[in-house]
Amino acid sequence: MNSSNGNGSMSTASSSGAWDGRDQFPAGLRVLVVDDDPTCLMIFEKMLKTCLYQVTKCNKAETALSVLREHKNGFDIVISDVHMPDMDGFELLKHIDSEMDLPVILISADATKQIVMKGVTYGACDYLIKPVRIETLKNIWQHVVRKKARNTLLEIKY
Amino acid sequence: MERNPMRRQLASLRKSLFDQGYLDEQFMELEQLQDDANPNFVEEVVTLYYRDSARLILNLDHALERRPLDFSKLDDIGAKKVKAESTLFREYCKSGNAEGCMRTFQQLKKEYATLRKKLETYFQVPFFPPI
Repeated sequence: MNSSNGNGSMSTASSSGAWDGRDQFPAGLRVLVVDDDPTCLMIFEKMLKTCLYQVTKCNKAETALSVLREHKNGFDIVISDVHMPDMDGFELLKHIDSEMDLPVILISADATKQIVMKGVTYGACDYLIKPVRIETLKNIWQHVVRKKARNTLLEIKY
Repeated sequence: MERNPMRRQLASLRKSLFDQGYLDEQFMELEQLQDDANPNFVEEVVTLYYRDSARLILNLDHALERRPLDFSKLDDIGAKKVKAESTLFREYCKSGNAEGCMRTFQQLKKEYATLRKKLETYFQVPFFPPI
């Protein structure tokens, strides 16, 4: 993937090739993380890399959306902050939900019940409160598997 | 063995920062992320945090000359006292208490500057820009 500098900035962890290491799963899980806070982005990247995930980071929701559109099937899961200027996490979630079939985790320092409720009702597969611990990130692969399993079940049904 | 006294000094400085409540488990999490690939990770994160939040605080300063702002965007990296102050700030914002906002914000800036000085001493590097 190329690094691009448009309205936002994006940088990709260097990948040695396409992820096909089913044996190594969840290592190599392709994560897109979106947060306008550079400190958070830096910490998340380090944590996710420690989990052996393949990390792409964006500091703007619009950039994240174009990356996702440009690389269909290029990601397994999206992690996004809620409160961001311009497009926020909820709007990003709505777009992703309608255009592609990806699990989205919302994160925020905001733990107010209404916001968490909103996240869940909008279709986030999880809502994490900052500061997020690395132990939590080690388990996010479950959302990917769960979604795939659910989709497979739906296909069988119909 | 010149490094030993320095290391001991650094270790005791670190311990006092935890004892005084300036740092908490979050800081330890950052330390655990540090490895051979990123040997200065903690310092880099803290430097980035101070650069970013200094800008934020400046914006807030300007905005508070006009009206109170929502503080939810200010993130913390385990600085307990700063976090406590910003929660209070938000409460005052929600209840429309201008005087409370101003007071809390001034206190927050003080705590922020204090922690910053301590961390600069700990990492032996100044965080640009100065407040």
